[in-house]
Amino acid sequence: MARKRGRGMAASWYGIARTATVDRSAAWAEIDDGGSAKIVTGVTEIGEGILTVLAQIAAHEIGVKPEHVVIGDNDTARAPEAAHAGASRQTYMIGNVVALASREAKKRLVDVMAEMWSAPAESIRTGNGEIWAENTNHRITMGEAVACAKNRGVVPIGSATFGTNTTGIADGKGGDGAGRPWQAYVFGCQVAEVEVDTVTGEVQVLAVWAAHDVGRAVNPQGVEGQIEGGVVQAIGQALMEDYEMKNGHTTTPGFAKYILPTSLDVPRVNSIIIEDPDPIGPLGVKGIGEPCMVPTIPAVMNAIYDAIGVRVFDLPATPEKILMAIREKERRDAAVAIQAAE
Amino acid sequence: MVDIQLNATINGRNVSRAAKPHLRLLDFLRDDLNLTGNKEGCGAGECGTCSVFVDGVLMKSCLMPVAKAQGAQVDTIESLAKSGEMSVLQKAFHKAGASQCGYCIPGMVMAATAALRANPFADREEIKERLGGNICRCTGYQKIFDAVELARDVQNGRVPATALLETDTADGDVIGKNVRRIDAPSKVSGRLKYAGDMIMPGMLHVQVLRSPHPHARIVSIDTTAALAMEGVESVITSADVPGQDGFGVFVHDQPIMARDKVRYVGEAIAAVAAEDALTAKRAVAAIKIVYEPLPPVFDPDEAMQPGAAIVHDYAPDNITKHIPIRVGDVEAGFAQSDLVIEESYSTQAIEHAYLEPEAGLAYVDHDDVVTVVSPSQNITHHRHMLARIIAKPISKVRFIMSPVGGGFGGKEDMIYQGMLALLAMKTMRPVRLVYTREESIISTAKRHPSRTTLRMGVMKDGRIRALAMRMVCDGGAYGLSTEGVMRKAAILAAGPYAIPNVRIDTYGIYTNNTPSGAFRSFGALQTQFATESQLDIIAERLGMDPFELRRINAMRDGATTHTKQKIGSVSLMRALEATEQASGWEAGAPTVRGPTRGDLNHDDVRPSVTLGTRFTDSANQEAAE
Repeated sequence: MARKRGRGMAASWYGIARTATVDRSAAWAEIDDGGSAKIVTGVTEIGEGILTVLAQIAAHEIGVKPEHVVIGDNDTARAPEAAHAGASRQTYMIGNVVALASREAKKRLVDVMAEMWSAPAESIRTGNGEIWAENTNHRITMGEAVACAKNRGVVPIGSATFGTNTTGIADGKGGDGAGRPWQAYVFGCQVAEVEVDTVTGEVQVLAVWAAHDVGRAVNPQGVEGQIEGGVVQAIGQALMEDYEMKNGHTTTPGFAKYILPTSLDVPRVNSIIIEDPDPIGPLGVKGIGEPCMVPTIPAVMNAIYDAIGVRVFDLPATPEKILMAIREKERRDAAVAIQAAE
Repeated sequence: MVDIQLNATINGRNVSRAAKPHLRLLDFLRDDLNLTGNKEGCGAGECGTCSVFVDGVLMKSCLMPVAKAQGAQVDTIESLAKSGEMSVLQKAFHKAGASQCGYCIPGMVMAATAALRANPFADREEIKERLGGNICRCTGYQKIFDAVELARDVQNGRVPATALLETDTADGDVIGKNVRRIDAPSKVSGRLKYAGDMIMPGMLHVQVLRSPHPHARIVSIDTTAALAMEGVESVITSADVPGQDGFGVFVHDQPIMARDKVRYVGEAIAAVAAEDALTAKRAVAAIKIVYEPLPPVFDPDEAMQPGAAIVHDYAPDNITKHIPIRVGDVEAGFAQSDLVIEESYSTQAIEHAYLEPEAGLAYVDHDDVVTVVSPSQNITHHRHMLARIIAKPISKVRFIMSPVGGGFGGKEDMIYQGMLALLAMKTMRPVRLVYTREESIISTAKRHPSRTTLRMGVMKDGRIRALAMRMVCDGGAYGLSTEGVMRKAAILAAGPYAIPNVRIDTYGIYTNNTPSGAFRSFGALQTQFATESQLDIIAERLGMDPFELRRINAMRDGATTHTKQKIGSVSLMRALEATEQASGWEAGAPTVRGPTRGDLNHDDVRPSVTLGTRFTDSANQEAAE
């Protein structure tokens, strides 16, 4: 049969937030008139869904609905530093700091209501846009509570900073690389199933099962989105993408030459979310953006080998390369057969 | 050329106006009518984000001369959500989480709308085929297919419209819930303004002169003719930089425009600000540069040899960064091993291919604050570097992060913001630069190409005794994130395994190729590709199941890493078990047993594709319903 199937697996690990340096972030929170929450921090979407994650976290901590959270723009002159959008650090560094700032804002509001209602602060609860004192009839909206606070001269705001307990590594001359590059590690594993057309050399990745530890999934659909996107980017590198250069000039300056995965190239991605909470941050969250890409390529290469007995050491595994490797294997096998016959 | 008088119906309104004949329909819609919902992603009809309907037919508006729209009915993404009410398909994109960066989404929504118009009963495989002309770099497409299927089912009455609504969070806790993305409505409707969609009154347009040489001394730059052109406001070169010129994530080795010499093809040398982009382009062509070509070096292994061309004087061995990791005694470990395997691996340079090419605006505000608006992934660091480059206090430099149409690490570099700031300071007017796709590809960072030699020694029972890896990466002409990539690559190279003897060396090397930089998975992808491939080679030799081999070596709770860090909980065993179970993995050594496996054709596997075989006749489908 011209089309042959196989499966392969690979495991992986990754560090969350900046590598081998101290990472840090900050945020401001305010419970605003009308009972909405206002969060200001140096963050903007790069597509991963962080704005939604932060809205969920602030909503959870303050006790309002996510749609009543407003997030300010990332602006070095108007927002506190949350450093960069990368290193799989957004949910970990900024999610955690938004939780801390939200808690402080909430505490300001709770303290006012505790005094007003002559109830212990510990008995005050919030949720779904309301605030109440347990075992009493005191229950008002967050908007009403903000008005109460303001009438007493209090604006319910909070701020927080979150830093990591990490170090550089000993990578100078003669160094052994020792150090604490991260405080949160994640682990993952993927299985890929492929079909190789031995006539054309084309490889299709039909399915990927991807299990990744994210600490705690704030938005599972968002986590899946990261895994699906990361797996497909990795398949691009595994099978087709190649930025080629000749004498310093690229020969692939557009998408006609630089081939990207399109809708027909993608496998069914089956995500399995593992939650092993981070013990250090206030939320238990970790990260997923980069870790999900790491095991895909070796899982696909191992699957190709499983299907046709050909291993690709030099990426990408283009149809040309697969065909050449099949021919070479046939020659090798034939030589072995002749030897055996002799 | 004289203007043409264009009469067309655009989003249901009659439009009659003069248009420049060289415009594409996309330019006319975006620049003349300010309908910026549909984006430009490639300018060559390859990515699909500019897709609009012309007389009801899905067209790539970047390929259509505006004159061809004479008398036509044109509908853009803005036509779908009139007065803010989203279409069923847009709501389905929102619900399914089908948008991430959002830049491809206007075109994707148009293509999906066309797909369901062509066949309201299209199945998932047909939907895939009908979306084949639209590229998305973020989502992996899966949630887009989910969204189109959901919209189809709602439109056909198979599921109620309430399926499009928010997950109920009335029980209080919103963490762990699939709350719909708060930015999705603005993305599926094309309302979100990326930097290239923004305009400011009095704005000038910037174009950049780039090096045609991989390595050359700049003998002279003559901007006289360019400056004399009508409509040209300013031309800048490195001579205009007032402060200490140099940026980079780790080493500040890159000037905002080439200084004295160029180190790669596509490096910026001069920039022009003019009343319109065409004038700026013509002015760029009028700048005269005399180059003296220098011997280049393109191969990182050759670059490390004595006598190779030197890319940066400060690094005469062309080594940007070497990272060592040392644990135990690897030679002793190999001597003890029952089996030692050595192999070589290589990975290629990869383009980020975010759908949004680089773009940005800059202006000097009423308080003399130099302000840059751009899809930068690191505005904090950029303002530090820019302040030094333009010799201003940090408080007089402001960076605003515009929505990022895909980053993946590629927008961590301050590759063009310096030129924008300088031109805004020179002209005291707002300036805007929008890269073409080609400009984006040739001038910005790539994933480091790598060459790796890996030696591993194991016992018969599968325990890894020693691992030695040497990886050489082509860092290209400038440092960017190379140092950090080499570090992360090395720290994670040996995988999540307890190995008593480890020696890892990663090298980032300067060459005259396109610079390499940050890219999602940052070096760990390259090194773990080698390690995880080699583990399967070993599993075959030992006749052992690949999961089992990894389990034998897996770090456990309280493990000490290869950088001698004691860590807490290790979730690797859970990940192995979860994957094995979910995939229904049939245990066995990886001995090319694909032909005899019993675990193929699992429910979670998509059908394989034979191109063009899945369009069905919508009339027949409907009849069958």
